Amino acid sequence: MTKNFQIKTRLQDNIAVIYPKGHLDAHQVGRFEKEIVRLIKENNCRIVINGKDLSYITSAGMGIIMGYIDEVREKGGDIKLCALNPRVYEIFDLVGFTEIYEFLPEEQDAIGKFTAHAVQ
Amino acid sequence: MPSANSRPMQSNKPGFSITIPSQTQLLRMVVELTKHITVLYHFPPVMAEKISLAVDEAVTNVIKHSYQNSEDRELTIEYFPLPEGLKIRIVYTGTPPQFSTNEIDLPQMIKTKRKGGLGVELMRRIMDSVDYQTVNGINTCELVKWLKAT
Repeated sequence: MTKNFQIKTRLQDNIAVIYPKGHLDAHQVGRFEKEIVRLIKENNCRIVINGKDLSYITSAGMGIIMGYIDEVREKGGDIKLCALNPRVYEIFDLVGFTEIYEFLPEEQDAIGKFTAHAVQ
Repeated sequence: MPSANSRPMQSNKPGFSITIPSQTQLLRMVVELTKHITVLYHFPPVMAEKISLAVDEAVTNVIKHSYQNSEDRELTIEYFPLPEGLKIRIVYTGTPPQFSTNEIDLPQMIKTKRKGGLGVELMRRIMDSVDYQTVNGINTCELVKWLKAT
C-alpha cells in the first residue's frame, strides 16, 4: 500500500533539504512538524523544502512553516521553498505566503540563496 | 464506519450525505469524495480540488476545535446541488466555533509563532460564502460555491 505522506531530509553544505512527498493534511502533519523541530534542535536552521513530490497541502502543513519561521530566522537561518507544482503553489499564494517566503523554481536556486548570502 | 445516503435532488434535503467519525485519518476520503461529487455537479476539476480543500479545512476544524481531537464523535457532510452551484453543509455538535471575521495578518502571526488560523482564511478565499451557525446545540458550517464564479 502506498503511504499517503513520506518525508526525507538530506544535508548539503550545512543546508537541510526536506523532501515531503504526497498528501500533507492534518492527519500527517505531526511527522512534518517533528522533522522541522529535529532540524532546529540540531541547529540546522538553513532549510529548503523541495516540494516537487508534494501533491497536496492544507493549512496544517502551512501552519508548521509559519509557526517555526521566526525561530529559524532568529537563529540566522530561513525556510525557502522550491519546485512546487503549480496547484500546491497556488494554495500557498491564496493565503499570502508567496509575499512572505521565498519560492524558487529549482532546488539549486534555493540552496544558492543560502550560499550566496553566506559569501556576502 | 462512515454511512452514506444518496437521494434525488430536493430543495431542503441534500443530494448526498455522509456521516463519519471524527477521525483525521478519514480526511483523505472526504477530500476524494468531495472532489468526485463536485465534478458531478459540473465544476471543473481544478475548482473541485479547491472546494475539496475547503471542506478538508472545515472538517479539520470540527475535529480539532469542536471535538478537541476526540475520535469517537460524529459529523455529517451534506452536499446540496443548487441550480447554479453547490452548497456543502457540515453538521456537528461540540464546542461552537469562534473564528475572527478579520482578514489574517501573516507577519503578526509569524511574530507570535502561530501555527493555526489559516484554515478559515483558505475556506473564505476559495468559497463564495462561508457561514457558521449554532442553533440548539447543533453547529453548522455552510460553504457555497457558484458555478459562474469559477
